[in-house]
Amino acid sequence: MSLRNHQSLKANMTGYAFISPFIVGFLAFTLIPMFISLYLSFTTYNLFTPPKWIGLGNFEKMFTGDPKYWNSIRVTFTYVLVGVPLRLIFALFVAMILNTKSRMVGTYRTMYYLPSIIGGSVAVSIMWRNIFSNNGIVNSLLSTLGATPVKWFGDPDASLTMLITLSVWQFGSSMLIFLAGLKNIPVELYEASSVDGAKPVRKFFSITLPLLSPIILFNLIMQTISAFMTFVPAYVISKGEGGPMDGTMLHSLYLFRQAFMFSNMGYAAAMAWVMLIMIGILTAILFITSRYWVFYETEKGC
Amino acid sequence: MGKKGWFLIIAMLLVLTTACSGADGGGNSGTSADGKVKLRIAWWGSDTRHEYTQKVVDLYKQKNPNVTIDVEYASFDDYWKKLAPQAAANQLPDIVQMDISYISQYAKNGQLEDLAPYLNQKIQVADVNENVLSTGVIAGKQYGIPTGVNVLGFQYDPALLKKAGIDKIPDNWTWDQYKEMALKAASNKVYFDSSMAADIFFHYYLRTQGKTLYNAEGTGLGYDDDKLFVDFFSGLADLIKKGATPPPEIMNQTKGILEESDIVKGTGIGIWQWSNQYVGLQQVVNRPMALAPMFGPNMEKGVYMQPTMYWTVASRSQVKDEAAKFIDFWMNDVEANKLIKGERGVPISSKIKEAVAPELSEPTKQVFEFVASMEPKASPMSPPPPVGSPEVIATLTDYIEQVNFGQMTPEDAAAKFRADANTILANNKQ
Repeated sequence: MSLRNHQSLKANMTGYAFISPFIVGFLAFTLIPMFISLYLSFTTYNLFTPPKWIGLGNFEKMFTGDPKYWNSIRVTFTYVLVGVPLRLIFALFVAMILNTKSRMVGTYRTMYYLPSIIGGSVAVSIMWRNIFSNNGIVNSLLSTLGATPVKWFGDPDASLTMLITLSVWQFGSSMLIFLAGLKNIPVELYEASSVDGAKPVRKFFSITLPLLSPIILFNLIMQTISAFMTFVPAYVISKGEGGPMDGTMLHSLYLFRQAFMFSNMGYAAAMAWVMLIMIGILTAILFITSRYWVFYETEKGC
Repeated sequence: MGKKGWFLIIAMLLVLTTACSGADGGGNSGTSADGKVKLRIAWWGSDTRHEYTQKVVDLYKQKNPNVTIDVEYASFDDYWKKLAPQAAANQLPDIVQMDISYISQYAKNGQLEDLAPYLNQKIQVADVNENVLSTGVIAGKQYGIPTGVNVLGFQYDPALLKKAGIDKIPDNWTWDQYKEMALKAASNKVYFDSSMAADIFFHYYLRTQGKTLYNAEGTGLGYDDDKLFVDFFSGLADLIKKGATPPPEIMNQTKGILEESDIVKGTGIGIWQWSNQYVGLQQVVNRPMALAPMFGPNMEKGVYMQPTMYWTVASRSQVKDEAAKFIDFWMNDVEANKLIKGERGVPISSKIKEAVAPELSEPTKQVFEFVASMEPKASPMSPPPPVGSPEVIATLTDYIEQVNFGQMTPEDAAAKFRADANTILANNKQ
């Protein structure tokens, strides 16, 4: 071993030593558990007796013998496909309002961001449950407006709507990212377009949206992934049962019930892997289609 | 890689692994040379329960200065999430509060100790009714000691009952009389009750007909005739349809919010539930209430003393003697039971029942009297639900919800439930 090699190795060693807590943590708490879970997905395992290999049995049951699984997929996709676009539209809308010059903007930004900080927590879900309860503020409002109060947790359709509303309300983090993106759009572009006589709507579609599209892509992907993994609100609001009539039985909640209530760890592991693949495919689709609608300044600049 | 590098990495790994085992080591308990004993005890429950249980634990430590006790407690849902991995890792606490729906699973997987050899040695059971003690027996072994007993009944507001045009609940009322009375309440614009939890009351109904929900081995359903299912659940669905009990939308909306329930608001006469839930309900309702026995016919065959929960001892525990002594203390110590006040069900020792009676609040007294009046009538409990029963119950609840929403006929539900339940129970056969 040459002296130079040896020295660089020595230098690297220190580096390895310093990152070893991460490496060990990653191996022990992420990578190895992932492989174990992959193994478990081909077994039946109740936590007490050793796992029993059943090959593709879990997947077979999932796709052909478990209507509740398909229901949970349907509910989850409705939740994601309706909730995420709504949330992003709302976030962009608020970001544009907050992008105006006003003295109170700082306060507003904080206020609008708050729901996201307390975000997916149990407390918010409980509060949400109270807001939408029989005598809650939403129903009182509805009855003062002369409409009939809705049984938000009683009606299978209404309960999912309520859950989506909650997710839209937690728009803060994507709003902040949009806000940063908006700040990056050169003012000159707007000024020049004003000179050319462009109206606000035209400005929005011809300047704001194209220049913001990379940010939109980022938000879309992040929010889609996190929406697929939503658990706490559904768990708290339905008291862990995904009711009524499985209307709020999100995939993660059904997985939790299989794993921890019914002790079907193998089946739950298989569900988790199928979900991972689904999210992967969806993200890939987003990336591929992004070629047609995301605009990067640098491409044309260089 | 240089020697030094490997050394560093190995050192890091060692630090990490010892850190982990250190955390686990804290959980290991045993008797050390100086006679000090370390116990771990786990339970679930509400804040009130945590408070007085801690006091009982402190009292025990005070009387046994050589014992230290680590407590672990959680809400019901979190408790089972924590307990299952602990069991898988062979790290169960020495004393585990156990629910009736889980005890089979833990017992059959070898996690729990047979306490029969401790009876009348460390654990005195001379004052305990045989029917009550035997509820902790699974496959011939005494895995659990009941913390107290409950009995099913109707908990209601007598004044509201009169307002609905019913003088009183007859002594030996029947299923048919119940339905008649409920309809009468409906015609007077009051809900009679808030329907019945599908699994518990269907099981009761089956017992009055000499059947059970599960067969004795826990490998399938305990009844062959789906007509029983149809009779019971179409009866309940019919009451919903006719306004004698609230529709499922309202039931779901108010679930878990006691303040919004009809009996609290004064729009419903009563609730079907376990006797230990009476005290909490009475506090919120805040009007005079009463307890009535279950409907017949054959009420005596149907009704049974159910352990509110069990104390069990982990089979891997190193300090089983001390654990048994603590359970005995819980059961037979007057001072401890004056703290407990029957919160974990009516005490199973008749001596303790008498000793704490003067200390009780009015609603608790009512419960003690009600349970005492039912005890001589009750039949032995069916074996605890088999492994897989949480899934069976969830399936049943789902189908009944669909029946109540009018999206499935009781006949379909009966057939589908039978098929599903048999599959689940077969999958869990050992």
